[in-house]
This record gives sequence, C-alpha cells and structure tokens, in this order.
Amino acid sequence: MFFNSLSFAVFLPIIFLLYWFVFSKSKLTQNGLLLLASYFFYSCWDWRFLFLLLFSTFLDYYTGIQIENSDSKKKRKIWFWLSIGTNLGFLGVFKYYDFFALSLSNLLSNVGIKENPLLLHWILPVGISFYTFHGLSYVIDIYKSRIKAEHNPIDYALFVSYFPLLVAGPIERATHLLPQVKEKRSFNFQQAKDGVFMIVWGLVKKVVIADTCATYANAIFDHYESMNALSLALGAVYFAFQIYGDFSGYSDMAIGISKLFGLELLRNFNYPYFSRDIAEFWRRWHISLSSWFRDYVYIPLGGSKGSKVKQVRNVFIIFLLSGFWHGANWTYIAWGFINALYFLPLLLRNKNRSNIEVISLKWNLDSVKVILSILMTFVLTCLAWVFFRAKSITAAFDYIKRMATNGIFQSQYLANRRYNYEILILILIFVSVEWNNRIKQEPISGRFSILRLALCFGAILALGTYSDYKAFIYFQF
Amino acid sequence: MKQFLLLVVKAFVLLYLIAWVLDLAYTQVYLHSSKRGKVEAVFNGKPKKYDVVILGTSRANNHFVPELFEKKGLKTFNYGMSGSHLFETSLLLELMIERKFQMKCIILEADLSLSNDKRDEGTTARYLPFLHHSKAIANHFRQEKEFYGWCCIPFYRYIEYDSQIGFREMYESLLGKTTSNLDNGGYYPLHTKNEANMKNNYQSLNPLHNKYYEKIKQICKSNNIRLITVTTPVCENVKGMDYFQKVTEMYPEIHNLENFVQGDEYFSSCGHLNDKGARLFTQKVINLFFSEK
Repeated sequence: MFFNSLSFAVFLPIIFLLYWFVFSKSKLTQNGLLLLASYFFYSCWDWRFLFLLLFSTFLDYYTGIQIENSDSKKKRKIWFWLSIGTNLGFLGVFKYYDFFALSLSNLLSNVGIKENPLLLHWILPVGISFYTFHGLSYVIDIYKSRIKAEHNPIDYALFVSYFPLLVAGPIERATHLLPQVKEKRSFNFQQAKDGVFMIVWGLVKKVVIADTCATYANAIFDHYESMNALSLALGAVYFAFQIYGDFSGYSDMAIGISKLFGLELLRNFNYPYFSRDIAEFWRRWHISLSSWFRDYVYIPLGGSKGSKVKQVRNVFIIFLLSGFWHGANWTYIAWGFINALYFLPLLLRNKNRSNIEVISLKWNLDSVKVILSILMTFVLTCLAWVFFRAKSITAAFDYIKRMATNGIFQSQYLANRRYNYEILILILIFVSVEWNNRIKQEPISGRFSILRLALCFGAILALGTYSDYKAFIYFQF
Repeated sequence: MKQFLLLVVKAFVLLYLIAWVLDLAYTQVYLHSSKRGKVEAVFNGKPKKYDVVILGTSRANNHFVPELFEKKGLKTFNYGMSGSHLFETSLLLELMIERKFQMKCIILEADLSLSNDKRDEGTTARYLPFLHHSKAIANHFRQEKEFYGWCCIPFYRYIEYDSQIGFREMYESLLGKTTSNLDNGGYYPLHTKNEANMKNNYQSLNPLHNKYYEKIKQICKSNNIRLITVTTPVCENVKGMDYFQKVTEMYPEIHNLENFVQGDEYFSSCGHLNDKGARLFTQKVINLFFSEK
C-alpha cells in the first residue's frame, strides 16, 4: 500500500475518522488504533514479515527494561549487546548476507580458489533498515541513561511501528516521538491543515517531479553507451531530482499524515540542493539518518575531537556506513566514499560548519559567490549520484568518462520517445518554487493558499506520471 | 474538527472542478485535432469515399502500400495500427460507419490477432477522448470494467493513459504538430533489419472464435462492403506454422497469404516485411483480388 495509491486513499480517511470520532477517548484507545492500523498497513506488503517486526519490537522492549533494571554493569552490557547483536544480525542476514557471500567468493576466485557460495536469495523485508534503527537508537539511549525504558508495550510498539514512518522513515528517536505517544492527542486545526498541505506537496514531488524525471533518467542510464555528453549530464541531473522528489516527497507525506493524528515527526529534508558546500548538503539531506549516524557512531568515535587523522577516519567511517546502509552493493559504498572525499577539504580547513545561516541573496558579489557555490555543490552531488544509480562502479566511471570525452552537446531522442532536454522547464519551475519558499516546510501555506493548492492539484492531475508507475526508491533500503 | 472537515470538502470540490476543467480542455483539443493519429483522423475528418480500406495490426500497417492500389485506380487508405487488436479494429470500422465513410472493399489482416479478443491499452487510449461524443465508442467500451470510471470521473481517462493522451500528446495536438501516422496513405514502411528478431514461435497460439472478427463480418455484410480477410507473410524461421492452418480450418473464408513472400531479404523482422517486401506483397494481393479492374 503506497502513499500514492488508491488503497491508501481509502485506508487513511477511515483511520482518521475512527481515530478522532470513535477512539479519541483516551491515549490507550488512540495508540491501540494506530498500532492496529500500522500492523495492517505493514501486512499489506507481506504479512510474513510482520512476525519479524513483532519479534524485533518485543526484543527491544524487553531488553530495554532489562538494561534499566540490571543491577550490575556486566548485566547491562549483556542485555545491550544481545539487543544490538540480534538487531544487526537480522539486518545482516536479510540485507547483506548474499552480498558478503558473493564478494568473498569473488575474492577467493581471484586467488585461484573456486567456491560456489551458498546464497539465500531472501526478499528484503520492507522497512527493515528503518525500524531496526528505531530500535537501536532506543536501546542505545537507555544504555547511555539518556532515557528511561518504556514499560507500556503498546506505546513502545507504536513508536517502532507507526505506519507513516514504518517503511521509509524518517528515522525517529525515542526522545522525540515517545513523549508525544505517551500523551493523549487533541485535534488541532492548524496542525491538520499543515498536514494536508504537506501531503499534497509530497505528492507533487513524487508524481510530478520524481516519476517524470525517472522516465528520462532511466532512458539515459539504461542506454548510457549510446548517449551523447549532453544526455549523460542531463541524466545525472534528472536522477538527482528523481531521488530527491521521490524520497523527500515520501518524507513530506509521512510528516503530513502524522500531523493528521496529532504527532510531529522529525524533518528529513531541508532544500538540500540549495546547499553551499557538501557539509551543508549533509545537514539538509536525509537529516534523520545523518543525525543518527552523527549521534550514535560519529560522536562516540570521537567526532571532530582529537587529531586530524582520527577526524578523517571518523568521517570516512560514517560516510561509508551511510552508503552501506542504503544497500548491499559496491556502488552505494563508492557513493559514500566519494561524499567523504568531498567532505575532506572542508574538514581539514575547519570549514565544515561555515554555512549554517539561512541563504539570502542581494545584488552584490557575495551573492554571485553563493550562487556559484550552490551550483558547484550541486554538480558534485550529481557526479556522486551517478555511482548511486549506476549498475556497477565500472559503469559509473564509464558514464562519467563519456560525459567528459564524448563532447556532443545536442538534442537526442531517447528510448522513452522524448527528447533529452524536454523536462528542464519543469525542473526549473520546481526549483524556483522551492527557492521562493525555502524558509517554510512546504510552499502551499501562506497567502493565496487556495490558489497554490489549486496549482498543485492541476500539476498532479495534468503533469503527473501514472502509466509508468514507480514504487518509492527508498522502500528497497 | 468541523473547520477541518470543511477544508477537506473544499479541497475535494476544488480537485473535482480542476479535473472537470482539464477534462473539458483536453477533450476540446482532441476534438479539433486530425493530424496526429488515425482514430482522430476518422473522428474529426470529413466523411471519405474509398475503394479499398486496409484494417489490422502493424502487420497490415507495414504490409499494404496504398500507392500501388492508387496506381490501379483504387482510392485506398491503410488504417492498420501498430499494437492494435481486433477489439480496436472492429471499433475503428464502426466509427467509420458512424462518421459516414463509404467503402467498397475492406482488406482485413486477421491472423495472429485472432488468438486474442482483449483490448490493447495503447490503441484503446486513442478512442477515449471521444467517449462522450460517439455512440459507437461508448457502446463498444460499455462492457469494460473501467467504463464508468472513464465516463463519470472527470479526467480519469487522461490520467490512466497519460503516456498516450496525457499532457504531452495534448500539447503537441494543440500546437498542430503532425506525426508520420497519416503519411504514405497510412502505410508505414520499414527499412532497417533486426537480425535478432528473424525468428518466431507461434506454437502456443490458438485462433479463437473471435467475437470482434464476427462483428466486422456482420458490419460489412449489413453495409454491403466486400470483406477480404487475409493472413500476411512471416519469415521462414517460424515454429508453429500450423497456426495458419488452424485459422483457415476455423474460418475457411480467410485467405492464407503467410507464404506469399519468401526470403529474409524481404523482411525487417520475422513478422514484418520491409518496404521492398511490402511492395512485392501488395502487388501480389492486387493481382489476386483486383485483377479484373
């Protein structure tokens, strides 16, 4: 059940009406309904993996209480590692086992040892990377005595399984969501209205921007050997907007849906393509994952304290982990590695926190510099996306090589029966809308909101891509 | 809550109005376009008189050269459509009758398409803009399960088939851009050769008692149109050639012409003649059926 499907359009209003008109008497009834709805939502993907989700929930709930109740450090440690080991074990087996087995087999065959690796070919349970990270953060926070263990199983289960964020995030923190879950929610008109606007804007990003860009990006990446330099460059740009529209659109819809139930989720994107350097990009892109790695990996490793060598090591570790989190493929690891390389000069010159303030442009030379730095960052990001999208690292290098050496900058007819430049106007309109609304979460609210809503509806109906239906990219992670 | 429910109702009314306006605008554009496709050329064009009309799939579209019929003095147009099934072919004929076309003879390519009585999505889409303006189209689609969605939900048909009749196609129609669909009397010549496609397997195919073929026969009979139904050539590297035998066993009136042109040099792919092959085939067809003229 996708957020942009008809079945979800039936599911959501039913749950909304039940939540506020039938189950609104107490926190318990509200949470009970949301939990049941979440399990139903998840079982629509594949009911078999519901047991995995239930087990993971129970494990973290139980070990959380045991860590808190343990009277010795040793016992705390045992419970802690039991939870961490089991969570990462499941993630490892389902997501990474085949990758490691194949990589090892390839390595051995290179030194003359031929092995047929035992591959599992298991389907990846949808959302496993997201709910595992929810559980991990919860257990780590209890172990570090940042929070108390949750004793109410329904409240805890809802924190892990809450349907708007269950399958593709944002990755929530117990410190942020659990306190909200523990209070009875009252209906707030402004919050619900903001929620509707975010859902509509998320839908625009998904069906108008992401899915339309996808038809062009796929036509170019899938036939990159026959593409000229202009098509290859545009292909990277289209993919950049595809993945941004897809993932941030999903996140916006998740945040908007959650607002309808009176719960606020963490912001996941903050106009990342307006970043002035890569460090700023990573403060604006998939914020909930970046901050998760920052808080639970980077800072415990020493963060930006200690010698430069240690700092560089820490940066490479979190970027490589971030790449690997996305999937069991060397292309994702290469993508993480490239971003670490981009980050390095900023770190070494202590400039990684130099672009914190909101961007404002005036008619002066500094603004020209800002625009150039935004463009430069975008180009670097697009080059890294080539690795993320390509089928292999060799294909990615070949793609970039052809982009640089082909030298033909002409209009080209693509396999999707369209010319390579055709959606540039759509992208430019989208960018200008985002730029003019960059201090808000979505561009619909404010003056003339009905007119803006009408324009969004018009865009969704007339410019959306429907016949070439695409699932959300991040569901595969 | 009341305020919110009111907002939701307003949003839905707004959505409905926008969909209705878009539906109206798109439909108007298609109602005034006749340069891009065969369906809209029939629907929006003036009634025409033909000696010969060719109907069928791409194996009609790429195989019959109207220019050769014209040389013989026969006013001809090739209305074969790539990807179409007999479902859409029979509808095109109904539409022609509704639009007062006069035809003396129809050459229908009905071979592989006899094994299928379902609709082709891409070709079906071309008829949908005219759903509210043609009884023939509305009646033809009435049995389809999406019919009431197409009819009653504004703009739904343009969303469902956005790659065929969505914004891009509407915009190009509005600008009056032409396609090659109506060039060469509707015939689309093939020039390239795809070696990888020089084989086919029809072993799993079986001709059906196809209700749309029956419908075409009945329309021709009641409108006094001579119907010539033929199979068209395939290359030699085909498994399951007995399919064509099964076709004539089921429908003895169908002329077996699948071996009328032989030799890979005449083919673009196993199921499609190249231009040279199409000209040879058309000439043989003319000699066979129109030699007296």
